[in-house]
Amino acid sequence: MALNGISIGIVVVLIGIYGILTKRNIIKMVMSLYIMNSGVVLLFISIGYIVGGQAAIFENAKKVMVDPLPQAVMLTTIVIGLGITSLALALAIKIYDEYKTLNTKKLLEK
Amino acid sequence: MDRISPIVKIFTRKLFPFILLYGCYLISHGHLSPGGGFQGGVIFGSAIILLGLVEGVKLTEKRFKEDFLSLTKNIGMLIFILLGFTGMFFGYSFLSDFLPRGKVGTVPSAGLILFLNLTIGFMVGTGIAVIFYRTVKHGSEE
Amino acid sequence: MNRILTITLLLILAFFLFSAVKLDYGRLHPELSEYYISHGIADTGALNMVTAIYLNYRVYDTLGEATVFFATALGVFMLLRKDKEGSADG
Repeated sequence: MALNGISIGIVVVLIGIYGILTKRNIIKMVMSLYIMNSGVVLLFISIGYIVGGQAAIFENAKKVMVDPLPQAVMLTTIVIGLGITSLALALAIKIYDEYKTLNTKKLLEK
Repeated sequence: MDRISPIVKIFTRKLFPFILLYGCYLISHGHLSPGGGFQGGVIFGSAIILLGLVEGVKLTEKRFKEDFLSLTKNIGMLIFILLGFTGMFFGYSFLSDFLPRGKVGTVPSAGLILFLNLTIGFMVGTGIAVIFYRTVKHGSEE
Repeated sequence: MNRILTITLLLILAFFLFSAVKLDYGRLHPELSEYYISHGIADTGALNMVTAIYLNYRVYDTLGEATVFFATALGVFMLLRKDKEGSADG
């Protein structure tokens, strides 16, 4: 498997999934959620790469351009990921206020 | 060490207007160079967060009041929708690009894109600052 | 035991994901993006193609995304209030 953006994007998504399944602290789970988001963004932007292309802005050079459509869609994805993370962290703050712990094992017992 | 070193304080106070200016430049030149509404808005919000981290939220609130930032965020969303409706008064569809094009390469070209960028930039910037204010104030008054 | 199950699941997932993304990396020819690049300046007048796409050709998605961000900021604002009890669901 070649070492390009697609492989690294898939590996980052798998690291995020491992983090959500294994960790017991809520804040570490929220961080793994954001790592998964970043992995998906990297994967989609790397799919739209064209070898020897320049960035998607018109300057005086006349080379081939990379694909600007996944980049425009991933901009929305990044902002939605920011929204998800901020709401999840606000919920974690409320959980700490109510139960005084952030460990999922102890939270299941309460 | 739990005190912020004076180098960080002095540099932040001196650099803060330039970071705001850079954010506004990214927002307004979004259709000519890399940048746009979201990118410039994040820089704008990060400048306010930086000042709040260094000086303390009480001092930062004297200049950037939370009610005003929240009002800007809400009105920004309203203006986005109203900008969509202005196209319908002339017979075009919702959120269509009906303004005349200028000279390619200057700022007032590209029609409605400039106004949408400005609106989104202010909305995202003040939204991030409001989230920061709420989080710190909730934790510090317990 | 827990970790062995997790690593097995991740290996199966990795096998499926790596075999699903069998693209010719860097040599595709997307037709829609070629239309956007060749007619971008004439339609919109912007030099930045990404901005022209997400603010002119696909502006409806940007409206939805601005609404999501606005709702998120409003949600955080409502969750972390300091009333007599503290939150919006008190």
